Amino acid sequence: MFKQKAFMFGYSQERLFLAHELGYKLMSFIIVVNDKEAYKKALKDGYTNVKLLDVTDDIALEKLEVQENDYLICVMDDHYLNVFLTLSLHELFPKAIVVALSDSPHTTQKLKMAGASKIIDLYQVSANRIHNILHKPVATKLVERLLSSDEDFSFKEMAIPSGSSLDGVMVDDFDFSRHGVILVGMIDKRLSNQFIFITSGLENRFDVGDTIVCIGYNKDLEKFEDYIKL
Amino acid sequence: MFKDIIVKFAFLINGSYSYRKVKETASNFLQNQDYHYKKYFDIFMISLIIVSITILVYEVKHTVPEWMDFFDIYIVTVIFTIEYLARVWVYNDWHLLVVKEYGESQFLNRKFSLWKPTKIALKGKLEYLFSPTAIIDLLAILPAYRPLRVLRIFVLFRVFKLLRYTKSINQFLSVLSSKKFELFTLLFLLLFITITAGIAIYVFEEQKNGNINSLFDALYWALITISTVGYGDISPVTTEGRVVSMAIIITGIAMISFVTSVIVSAFSEKLTELKENRIVEEINKNEEFMIICGYGQMTRMFLKHYAIEYKRRYIVIDNNREKVEEAIKEGYSAIHEDASRHDVIAKFNTDYAKITLLALTGSDIANIYITLNAKALSSHIKVITRASTDKIAKKCKLAGADSVVMPSLIANRMLFSAITQPVMYKAIYAILTGQHLAQLDEINVIYHRKLVGKKLDELNFKEHKLLCIGLQVGRSGEFIFNPPMRLHLQEEDILLIMGRKVSIEHFKTLYEEIRYV
Repeated sequence: MFKQKAFMFGYSQERLFLAHELGYKLMSFIIVVNDKEAYKKALKDGYTNVKLLDVTDDIALEKLEVQENDYLICVMDDHYLNVFLTLSLHELFPKAIVVALSDSPHTTQKLKMAGASKIIDLYQVSANRIHNILHKPVATKLVERLLSSDEDFSFKEMAIPSGSSLDGVMVDDFDFSRHGVILVGMIDKRLSNQFIFITSGLENRFDVGDTIVCIGYNKDLEKFEDYIKL
Repeated sequence: MFKDIIVKFAFLINGSYSYRKVKETASNFLQNQDYHYKKYFDIFMISLIIVSITILVYEVKHTVPEWMDFFDIYIVTVIFTIEYLARVWVYNDWHLLVVKEYGESQFLNRKFSLWKPTKIALKGKLEYLFSPTAIIDLLAILPAYRPLRVLRIFVLFRVFKLLRYTKSINQFLSVLSSKKFELFTLLFLLLFITITAGIAIYVFEEQKNGNINSLFDALYWALITISTVGYGDISPVTTEGRVVSMAIIITGIAMISFVTSVIVSAFSEKLTELKENRIVEEINKNEEFMIICGYGQMTRMFLKHYAIEYKRRYIVIDNNREKVEEAIKEGYSAIHEDASRHDVIAKFNTDYAKITLLALTGSDIANIYITLNAKALSSHIKVITRASTDKIAKKCKLAGADSVVMPSLIANRMLFSAITQPVMYKAIYAILTGQHLAQLDEINVIYHRKLVGKKLDELNFKEHKLLCIGLQVGRSGEFIFNPPMRLHLQEEDILLIMGRKVSIEHFKTLYEEIRYV
């Protein structure tokens, strides 16, 4: 179970999977809709925390109990409304994280300007996937395995706890393959809060509080997570 | 007895793979516009025609060297004759008709008639022999017969023979034929006016005009005048004659304008179709190309990122003209057609080219139909279909799609990662969107032969700022994640690496095999 709290604005056929996953894995998950049909559907699908409100009304939005670092997911079907909502939410809750869905580069640009922290361009990802299916079939299969929740193979991010055996070790000096995992990248807090790919060529050192992202079989990842706690 | 021998012979040919193959190849070279190597044959024939015309024209005033004469008489003529006979040969199959007739007569217990299939076959061959193109082919052979100098005039037919190999002239003729009715009507009208005016001037001026001595002179004058050419060698001298002149000059101008407008309208009507046919012909020349059905947001995004990579080896098909115009405006090759129609996909070279079809329209039903259409035409067409839900994705697979792309599923997974594992999200996003700072790529050892036999350890991934993620072992297809560095690479292995685009490209260059063409 993840500790994050998330509000999902919009509930459509395409977003059922997302709602299901988030509802299942997050401590707190609220669906916000602006039409009665979607409201009834969400309730019928078993969600208890569903709110029906006019998303263009700032007063109504303000009443949502949004806290710092909460996730606000803008996935309205109407992309004009989605941009408008992103702008309103960013203005009302500047410390929350707005994640939005886009359908074109133009919308992506507008969402960025409206204050979305993360934007997923529906078609850019799909277009790239088509290209990968044709030219990188092995890589595509691996990415599918990494993304699918049914597989025993995934990405994992781990924070280096105090007292960890990794603390103070240079990245190049540590043999990850011995643990069956591959280090993809990290957030080196000494340098910045930015994610750095391990292939960027920078010489990094593991310190307490850094976050590392590894890929591997789930059991190896879990074992490794236990290992770095030692 | 004779019949038996013929039937046996027909069955022998029918069962012979080599005969079929030879005839199919000949037919492809001579008739199949989609056959990849036909263009080389056409270029060869065009060159031969041009050379032979040059020789024949040069010969009019000069003495040509003996070898040139030999070349024209024996080489060119022999090739033209072989081509002519081959065209007659591939036009229809006599042995098939014999086999069919024999089978039917056996089945119905009736007497086998050899004449019936022979008659049909002969009728077909004669039909071909009397077609304008076959007559031109035959007459183009004649100038080689030197004793009869008059036959040199048939050199013109060698020029006409060029028609067979030049598509633009054929297209021009096909456009004109679409306005056959209008053009014939005008031609008859022209003939009527010319004859009437010719008779009139003959009646009025035969006695008074020294230049008009016969009806032919009068008709010649009428035609020269109505066409507005007016050489001036014959001109009317009487008032009546001048009135006739004025009348036919006005009629001539009107008719020329009329003919011009008919031809222009025929072209404007057919222009889009001609352009689109040309696009299809161009794409069919490639051994490998992509057909993208639907010009929606996903296609736009795909072409925005990859159009350069695919060069001109793709074509967009959409049944909405506005979208097609938009695609053309953006600089993409596009045609206005309905990809769910059998004949539309059949236009493409499905027999010889490696085709990938992307069914990316906004409608799931249309995408499934397009998938079925392509697969029904050829199972070799690789189809990637867009689907909106899991259920539709299953249907697409049932319809034969090789891969299914679900934009909403990918987006949902990304959204989920962005919330639950925000650090990891950046890695996934970079990989999924193919950003330059982190790409997941594969190296086929077969194309980088310098890698064969190398130990993974020797490849210094760290030094090249790369991560070795996995290895797909050649024949078994087994995927080894995080492969041990002691492994040696084999010819059919595929190495999976991750790194910056520049690092990957540099690594590939290091081990790329230099191909000598």
